[in-house]
Formats: sequence, C-alpha cells, structure tokens
Amino acid sequence: MSDGMGNPAIAGIIVTHGRLAEELLRTAELIIGHQEEFYAISGSDLCDENVIGKIREIIGKRGDAKALVFVDYFGGSCCINSVRAVEGEEGVKVMSGVNLPILLSFATKRGTMPFEEMVDHLIRRGRESVKVIDL
Amino acid sequence: MVILFRIDDRLIHGQVVLGWGSALKPDRIVVADDEIAASEWERNLYASAVPPEMKVSILSVPEAAAQLKGGVFKGEKVILLVKHPKSVLALMDLGFPVSEVNVGGLHYREGREKVLEGVFLDAAERAVMRELAKRGVVLDGRALPGSPALKLNSRVV
Repeated sequence: MSDGMGNPAIAGIIVTHGRLAEELLRTAELIIGHQEEFYAISGSDLCDENVIGKIREIIGKRGDAKALVFVDYFGGSCCINSVRAVEGEEGVKVMSGVNLPILLSFATKRGTMPFEEMVDHLIRRGRESVKVIDL
Repeated sequence: MVILFRIDDRLIHGQVVLGWGSALKPDRIVVADDEIAASEWERNLYASAVPPEMKVSILSVPEAAAQLKGGVFKGEKVILLVKHPKSVLALMDLGFPVSEVNVGGLHYREGREKVLEGVFLDAAERAVMRELAKRGVVLDGRALPGSPALKLNSRVV
C-alpha cells in the first residue's frame, strides 16, 4: 500500500483505556474489512513502560512510513504515554479524541494524500461527525 | 489544604482528574516528584493533562514540602500526587505531616507483586509501605472514590 505518491502507507495505532482500542479496530474492520498496518493497544492491564514499549516497537518497524497514534482521551494516561513514546520521532503524530468516523476515514483515505493533509482531513472529519441530529 | 494525598504512578490522568476531580472539586493539583520537576518537557506534558478549571504545581519533593508547610496553598483544595511510595516518607521526613494516603495506582511491572486490583508493589515499595504503617499512616487502597476502600496496612506487614 502507498500514499499514491510512491510512499509507504501511514501506519495506524489506536491506544485507549479499557478494551476500546481492540473493539474500535474490530468494529472498523467489520465495516471496511481487514486492515494492514493498523494496530490496537489497550492500556488497562499494562504499566506505562509496556504501553510505551509496544508503541515504540510498532513505530520502530514501520521503515520510511509515517504513523498516526490515535488516543481516546486528551490528557489521559494513554495520551501521555503515546506522546512520550513518539518523542523525537519524525513523521509520527498523536491525535486525541478518536472516534469511529476518524478511523474509517483514515483506513479508506490513507493511500490517497500526503501525511499532513491526512491529519487535517481526519481532524475535520472527526469534528464534523459530532453533531445533534435535527431533521 | 490537602484533601487527597495519593500514590499513583500515572500521576495526572483520567482517574485523578475525572474520577476524584468530579467528587472532590479540587482547586489545584500538586505533583511532588524530583525527576519530573527537573524536566521542562515532562512538566509541560503533565500540565497539559490538567483541565482549565484546576491549577497545577509540579514541584520537587523538597519544594513541595516547603510550599505545603509554608501555607502557599492555604484556602485551596489540593490533590497531592506522588509517583513513588518513598516520596511520602520523604515529605514526612521534611516535616509535612501525613495521617492518611490513598494508594491508587501502582501498575504491574516486572518485580512487582499484586496487593489488590491496580496496586502492585515490589519489595522496596512494600518495605516503605510497612514503614508508613508503622508510623501510623492509614493506607487507603482504592482506585476511585466510589471503589470499596481497602485498608492496606495489614496487607503490607
């Protein structure tokens, strides 16, 4: 898979409280099918060092690809640990407030645009998806 | 006034800010940790996790002891956080009196053994807890205000 310009696709890593990460990924795959380079880490049973270690292990083997770390709650331990894990890494960003529309958009669009554009697109997509349904 | 003194290796995070924060409505969170206080990057990281309605102080253990004793936080409801059990002893040895400490989050890592859900201690930490118990400190083992409170004193002896 590539970003449409010959670069390897962006890797996705979901890091959350509870079992949300696995369930988000599983649910996204129910909708759009199996995804490569998409990982889920649940922080519940792990100490901080193990969460950080798992994230580093994944971003360490991504080669030239960019990576996006999705976390559930801004300021939570998953967020703090993710920021710590990617400190100093080029081409890796941490995005908080993950929801299903963001992940679906990421999975279906990550081969089609450059990294920075992808990040902006996902933030827009996430925000647009939060609304009162008033028909 | 310190309304909650907690040992939690994650320091500022959801359980503290939301779980305890919504029950106790603190004005300020004080972190006492030498390593974090010494790094601007670490201080900024933890400060970013504090909601706008709470103030935050990230201090070394000696600074924290001096400010707590000196009445800097008088009139404020304070949640005091340390990462390591030994920091509780250090604060006491610096003259900050402690009668009770909440043992909330010491997560599993190699060498640590489970004491209760969410609380794992290694041998050195257990020795510190024993010393705290010996000095009459109540060890309140509990992740959240609504969790069943387990007095750890008898479990660490």
